[in-house]
Amino acid sequence: MVDLASTHDLIVVGAGPAALSAAIYTCREDIDTLLFEKGAVGGLAAVTDWVDNYPGFAKGLPGLDLSEAMREQAERFGAKIELGEVTSLKKDGNLIKLETTSGAMTAKAVLVATGSEYRKIGVPGEEDYYARGVHYCATCDGAFYRDKKLVVVGGGNSAVQEGMFLTKFATHIDMLVRGDKLRASDVLQKDLEAHKDKITVHFNTTTDEIIGANNKVTKVVGTDKITGKKVEFPTDGVFVFVGLDPNTKFLAGASVELDERGFIKTDQHLMTNVLGVFAAGDVRSGATLQIASATGEGATAALMVREYLENHQKISNTAVQTLYGE
Amino acid sequence: MAKDVTIFTTNTCSYCSMVKRYLDMKGQRYSVVNLDEHPERREEAMKVSDGAMTVPITVVTKQDDSREVIVGYNLQRLAPAVA
Repeated sequence: MVDLASTHDLIVVGAGPAALSAAIYTCREDIDTLLFEKGAVGGLAAVTDWVDNYPGFAKGLPGLDLSEAMREQAERFGAKIELGEVTSLKKDGNLIKLETTSGAMTAKAVLVATGSEYRKIGVPGEEDYYARGVHYCATCDGAFYRDKKLVVVGGGNSAVQEGMFLTKFATHIDMLVRGDKLRASDVLQKDLEAHKDKITVHFNTTTDEIIGANNKVTKVVGTDKITGKKVEFPTDGVFVFVGLDPNTKFLAGASVELDERGFIKTDQHLMTNVLGVFAAGDVRSGATLQIASATGEGATAALMVREYLENHQKISNTAVQTLYGE
Repeated sequence: MAKDVTIFTTNTCSYCSMVKRYLDMKGQRYSVVNLDEHPERREEAMKVSDGAMTVPITVVTKQDDSREVIVGYNLQRLAPAVA
C-alpha cells in the first residue's frame, strides 16, 4: 500500500515517459518517490499505435508495450504509482502541499510531468457525438469502424500515423487538412503514400460541423478555402488529431509561471519559478514532444531534484532560496 | 466488492489496461470481452452503453443486482461502483 500520509521526498504528477524515467533514476537512489496518474500510465505514448523512433528498439514497438516496460522498470526500483489526480499544489515553507483525490499530502519536491492531451476542434457536433462517432484515440476506438468510412481531421504526425492505423479497419478515410501541406515528418508522409488507395487527403479544407442523426455521425461539413464553397464528407465517424494542449489546469493558483500557450516555463535546472517544483516532458515550454526527449528530460529532472534535495536537507529554506537565486 | 464486473476491451487499448490494473489493485474479480477476438459482440457493447463506440466499457453488477455502465477510464465513477 502507498503511504499517503507522510511527507514524500518527491511527488511526480503524471506517469508518462518523462515521469517514469525520472522515477527510475530517483528510486534507484533511494529517493522516496510517489507518482500520481489520472489517465493511462504511459501517457500519450501508451495510446500511440506504433513507436518507430525510440532508440534501442530496432524494429519499433507498440506504444502500449513501451509504456508497460517503462512502468515495470520504474516499479522494479520501488516507484509507487497512485491512480488518482492532483488537483492543486501550493508552496508551504520549504515543503509543497498537494491536494489530491486520495487526500492532502506534502512533498519536499514536485516534478510536474503531466504531458499534454489531444486538442478539440471546437465545432458544433463535436461534443454531442463524443465517443459516439467523434474520437481522439485510434487505438482505443478504431475497432468499432470495421468496414466503415471515416474522416480524420489534422495533418501532423498523429493524424497521419493514426490515420494509417485506422486503415486496418476502415474501408476509406478522408483526411481533412486546414493548410496546403502536411506537417507530418517526411518519413510518415512517405508511409502515407503507401496507403493512398484508402486515404484521400483534402488540403485547404476546414472542418466546420459534425452532423448526425439517430445518435450516429453521418457527415462532416467543411469549407474548401480555395473556392470558398461548402464541402461535405459522408462518414460513420470522425477522429480528431489537431494538436496538443498542456495538462496544466490544476496549476491555476499555484503561481507556477506558464508561457502564452499554457506550457510550464523552467530554468536550466528544469525548475519552475516556484522553488522545489520542477517540470519535464511535453508539458514543459520548449519541449520537442518526442518520447525520447521526454525520457531524457525525466532523467535530467531526477538529477536536478536529487541535487535540490541534498541542499534542501542540509540547509534552511532561506539558504536554498539564495542558492537558486530566488 | 461488486457481484460481477465485465470489461469490453481491445488489444490496443491502454485505458482498458488501466481499468484492469485498478480492479486488480482492489482485488475485484472481472471478466473480459476482447472485441478484437470477438467482433461479433461489438453490437452488444454498443447496446449496453447506449451507443458508445469506445472501449473500455465496464459493466458493474452490484450486490443488490443494480447495474452501472462506465464508458471510458473514469476512476471517479469506477471507484465507488466497485467499492
